[in-house]
Amino acid sequence: MEWAPILITLKLAAITTLILLVLGTPLAWWLSQSQHRFKVIIESVVALPLVLPPTVLGFYLLIALSPQGFIGEFWSLFSDSTLTFSFSGLVIGSVIYSMPFVVQPLQASFETVGRPLQQAAWSLGASRLDTFRHIVLPLSSRGFLVAITLGFAHTVGEFGVVLMIGGNIPEVTQVLSIVIYDHVEVLEYQQAHAYAAGLLTFSFLVLLITYSLNKKFRVRL
Amino acid sequence: MKMLQIFYQAHFNQFKLQVDCSIPSQGISVLFGESGSGKSSLLNLIAGLDGSDSGEQHKLHVEKARFSLNNTVYDDTTQEINLKPWQRKIAYVFQDNRLFPHMTVLQNIQFGYNRRNSTLDQQALIKQFKINDLLQHYPQQLSGGQKQRVSMVRALLSNPDLLIMDEPLAALDYNSRQQLLPYIESIHQQLTIPVLYVSHDIKEVLRLADYIVLMQNGKNIAQGELAELCVSQPLLTRAEGPSFILQGDVSALLVDEGLLQMQCEGHELLIAAPPAKSDDKQPVKIGDSLRVLLYAKDVSLCLSPADNSSILNVVPVRIEEIKQQASGKQLLLCALGQQRLLATISQRSCNTLQLEVGKQLYAQFKATAMIK
Repeated sequence: MEWAPILITLKLAAITTLILLVLGTPLAWWLSQSQHRFKVIIESVVALPLVLPPTVLGFYLLIALSPQGFIGEFWSLFSDSTLTFSFSGLVIGSVIYSMPFVVQPLQASFETVGRPLQQAAWSLGASRLDTFRHIVLPLSSRGFLVAITLGFAHTVGEFGVVLMIGGNIPEVTQVLSIVIYDHVEVLEYQQAHAYAAGLLTFSFLVLLITYSLNKKFRVRL
Repeated sequence: MKMLQIFYQAHFNQFKLQVDCSIPSQGISVLFGESGSGKSSLLNLIAGLDGSDSGEQHKLHVEKARFSLNNTVYDDTTQEINLKPWQRKIAYVFQDNRLFPHMTVLQNIQFGYNRRNSTLDQQALIKQFKINDLLQHYPQQLSGGQKQRVSMVRALLSNPDLLIMDEPLAALDYNSRQQLLPYIESIHQQLTIPVLYVSHDIKEVLRLADYIVLMQNGKNIAQGELAELCVSQPLLTRAEGPSFILQGDVSALLVDEGLLQMQCEGHELLIAAPPAKSDDKQPVKIGDSLRVLLYAKDVSLCLSPADNSSILNVVPVRIEEIKQQASGKQLLLCALGQQRLLATISQRSCNTLQLEVGKQLYAQFKATAMIK
């Protein structure tokens, strides 16, 4: 068994989750507070990966990330490498693909905190940022836990998008799900088993830990 | 007396809010009116909370506003000033307490204290509101009454220039309410800031109000001291008809008879004592000043003091004004020393007794009265 696909997968999931937390938190916060009429449009765009076949998403990403595509062209201003069939391209694809799994739980937990508690904090002299930091964030810890778990696990499990934009380059873009597919294709069930069982165990453990922690850190309301 | 000016003109769909009033810069001013009269909207404008809990959708559209507190302009549409809620030194006690669920009681009460750089004596307030034993508890471990006490300490410790209390007792049961009232009264005696208190419960008003602003359909329709307003505004006790207030000092407690004696304008009045609390502590003691609310319909008039009557209170009064009521009855304003008393009597009695302004006669009423 080779370790490279496992490491690439974990690295991809970790970086993707981190980026999604940085981008997704303000986005989810805006969605939870705004009454803007464009809000539904943004919400729909964020949710698109939930319904689109990964191949469709991957196909458009492939076009956008190619040196002639709008993301790829922008990228070429800063870098000589291309985005398609690279790890960076994979990260961009994963961020878009896993976006709803991070944004939606965060949005829901921000909405649960609600305006009344924020108003109470304001009336005691806390600015919006201060209120977010000391009231909203701690009361949304559960939402963050769910967002991190889902975002990470979903990235680990992605297949279609990776195949479309990352190809299958060993030690660069070859992730676990693709290695398993390769082995099955050539009827190497034994090797496929090793990776598949590992992934299954890992996923189960992550969820188990998350749910038990979740009980312990139940938001007090 | 120094007054605080409040001027707001705003609308949301069909609802118009038009308030131009002033409240004393000290003591409890009660904002009184039915639900939908605009009390909460006004409070939210004053606190900068923008009209609604549900976000910008129900935001009141402010046309004109002018409100300053301690030489700081909070709202002024002509200067385009509209301070954010955290920039206003206004503390808010909400009906639903709104304690922060992830913080202990101590952390809750220090939230505003730290942010406002308050130098108030924390220990004194903790003691006064009897929350010493609760400091390490979380809000969900407290009873409704305890939560509201914590919420008051939290608001007071932030050292506000104005305290807003939006029906702080409305969500509580009768017993908790009775237990909480003395705490609010105690704030009232110590604070040198104005308190704006929203209520639609006449009992609370009677007990707490120094000053009243009456609201109806988004407008302030009357304001003044409680005793004056009772006479001129039957709105306060709509169901029972016109009412009035007598003030005096407790001169004796007749515990066995369930009565107390009150010295009022040189006369001894007998009033039904409020029920004693379970801890055997009398709710009132000799020397306390007392306000009692009486209804004009419970007062009768006669030319000579009746001797053999079941009615306990007979006092000499002089008729000041006779008003024809819509019901065909006559409402008589009578002077009892410096205070005023009302009586509703029929047109027929009015004719029989040949009542006219300036006439001296006797007013009698039973011991039943609502007590502060």
